Amino acid sequence: MLILAAALAAVVVALVLWLGHTRRTAAALEERLAAAAGSLESLQQAFARFAPAQVVEDIIAQGVSTRSEKKEVTVLFADLKDFTALAEHLDPDLLVRILNGYFERLSRAITNHRGHVAKFIGDGILALFGALEENPWQTNDAAHAALAMRAALADYNAALAADGLPALAMGVGIHRGTVVAGVIGSAELIEYGVIGSAVNLAARVQELTRAHAVDVLVTAAVRDALDPRFTLHALPPLEVKGLPAPVGTFAVDRFDAETRAQTPSTP
Amino acid sequence: MGLSAAAANLEWGECIVPVAPVPPALRAEVRKAVGAVPGWLARLAPSPWLVRGLCEIIKRPIAHAPLEVCDLVTLVVSQENSCRYCYGVQRAVLKIFGQRDEYIDALVRDGQVGELTPAARAALDLARRLTRANPRPGGADFEALVRAGFSRAAAAEVVFAAAGNAITNRVGTLLALPPEPLVSFVASPVFRLVRPLLAWRMRPRPRAPEPAPHPDDGPCAAVVAALDGSPAAGVLRRTIDGAWASAVLPRRTKTLMLAVIARALGCAHGEGEARRLLAAEGLPPAELDGILANLGSPRLDAREARLLPFARETVRYQPAAIQRRTREVAQGLSPEEVLEAVGIAALANAVCRMSVVIDAC
Repeated sequence: MLILAAALAAVVVALVLWLGHTRRTAAALEERLAAAAGSLESLQQAFARFAPAQVVEDIIAQGVSTRSEKKEVTVLFADLKDFTALAEHLDPDLLVRILNGYFERLSRAITNHRGHVAKFIGDGILALFGALEENPWQTNDAAHAALAMRAALADYNAALAADGLPALAMGVGIHRGTVVAGVIGSAELIEYGVIGSAVNLAARVQELTRAHAVDVLVTAAVRDALDPRFTLHALPPLEVKGLPAPVGTFAVDRFDAETRAQTPSTP
Repeated sequence: MGLSAAAANLEWGECIVPVAPVPPALRAEVRKAVGAVPGWLARLAPSPWLVRGLCEIIKRPIAHAPLEVCDLVTLVVSQENSCRYCYGVQRAVLKIFGQRDEYIDALVRDGQVGELTPAARAALDLARRLTRANPRPGGADFEALVRAGFSRAAAAEVVFAAAGNAITNRVGTLLALPPEPLVSFVASPVFRLVRPLLAWRMRPRPRAPEPAPHPDDGPCAAVVAALDGSPAAGVLRRTIDGAWASAVLPRRTKTLMLAVIARALGCAHGEGEARRLLAAEGLPPAELDGILANLGSPRLDAREARLLPFARETVRYQPAAIQRRTREVAQGLSPEEVLEAVGIAALANAVCRMSVVIDAC
C-alpha cells in the first residue's frame, strides 16, 4: 500500500514537473513567436519603402510577386557632373564618403517630397513619384524634390568647401509618362522597378543638363502638369540618343508660393 | 502597415492640444453616452461636435452586422493605422469582453484565426484595404463582402465600422492622445475580478434598425442615405452637420479640405460634393481646379494655404511623421482650430472611404 502511494506520489510529482516544463516551453515559444512577429512587421514596414504594400504582402505570403501594372509615374534622374574625373584624383575612402554624403542628403530631399529612391546607378539616382501609392500631385512633388535637392547640394558643397574638398555639381531630368511597374529580376536578385520609354527619356533629359548648362530640366509633359507657380524657362530642342525628333525641355528656376500663374518664356 | 503588440512602443509625442476645461453639461452628456468620462474629453472638449461624434461612434450604432465582427474590424483598422492610442484601447476592450491574449495576438499577427468565419475574414480584409486605400476599394469590393455572407445592410455597417475608425484613429494619432487608464488597468490583478462587471457595463447592445434621417440634405447625403436602416446613418448625418455648422473654421476651408482628401483618395463622390458646396460658397470651378491641381493658390488665405497640404498628408501617414507635421501646422493656430482641422480631416477621410457603399449602388 505504501509502495503504491509512493509510486502515485512520484507519478504526480513527475506530472507536475512535466506540466511546469511544458508551460515554460510554451511561454518561451509564445515569446519567440511574438518577437518574430515584431521583426516581421518591422521588416514589412522597411520593405514598404521599396515596393507597394500589396507587392510586399505577395512576397511575404508566396515568396514572389507576379503583380505588374501600367501606371503613370513621374521619373526623376539625377547624376553628378564630371564626377568620374574627380574620382580619379581622390582617395577611394574619401571618394566613398563624399558620395555617401551626397546620396544621403539627396535621398532625404526625395523622400521628404513623397518620392521613392528606386536605385543608385553609379553616382546616379533614379527616383519615382506615384509608383508606390496613388499620388495626384506626383509631378509637383518631383519638381519640389528637385529644388530641395538643389538646396541640399548647396549646403553639402559648403560643408565640403569647409573641409577643403571640391564642390559637386548635379544634373536632374524629370519626365512624366506611363511605365510598367513590377518585381523584376532573377532568382538571385530581384527588385521592384519600372520599365518603359518614360524612364529612358528622363535619363536622356538629365544628360541634356550639360548641354544647356542648367541643373534641373523637365519635359513638356512635366511642364503641362506643373503648378504654374514654378518659374520655368524654355530651352531649344536638342537631339537625344534613341529618339527620332529633338526634345524640347524647360529649366526649373524657382518656386514662389506668392506668384500668380505665368507662361514659361520661349527661347 | 500595422502595429503589433511588439511594436506598440512606437514613437509617440506629447499630446498636441492642451487640457481644457470641460463644461459640466458636456461631461454629463459624455458620461451618459459612454458610461464613463474618458481621458480624451479634457483634450477635445473645445470641439463639442467632435466629442459628440466620437461618443456616438464608440457606442457602436450597429443594427445588422455582428458586433463581434465590428470589434475585430476596429482592432485591425487601429493596427493598420498604427494608432497606439486606439489599438491599446481596443485591445483592452477585447480583453474585457473575454478574448484571450493569444487570440488577439494571432489576429493582429496575420488575421487568419481559425475561429473566424469566411464572412468575418472578408470583413477584415475589406477593412484593411479601406484603411490603406492604395488604391481605395470600390463597389466590386463591397459586392464581394455581400457575397461572403453579409446582407447589404450589414455590409454597409462593416464599412461604417472600418471607415468610422478612420476618425478615432486620426484623432488619436494626429493629436498624440495620451493612453487611457483602462489600458494599464487590464494588466492589473484586480482586472480579473471586475472583468465580468465591466463587460456587462461596456458591451454595446445591438441597436434596432432606424430609417435614414429626414431631411438628409447636408453634405455627403448620398453616403448617409446608403446607410438607410442603420443607426449609423443618423450618427454620420449629425456628425457631418455638427462639423459643418461649427464656426471655428470657415465652411469654405473645411470643404476645401474635403475636396483635397477626396482627390487624394480618388473619391468621385466626395470631390463632387465639395465642388457643389464650394460653388455655393462662390468659389469659381476653374479656381477650384487650380487649387486641387496644385494644393495651393495665391487666392487661399494663410490658414487655408497651411491646411490644404496638411489635409493631403492625413490620407496615408506614419504616426511620428504626421505628429511632427500636425505640430508644425498647429504653431499658428488656436487649440480650437487645431481640433477642428484634425476633426475635419478625420471625418473627410472616413466619408471618402465610406463612399464605397455608394460605388456599389
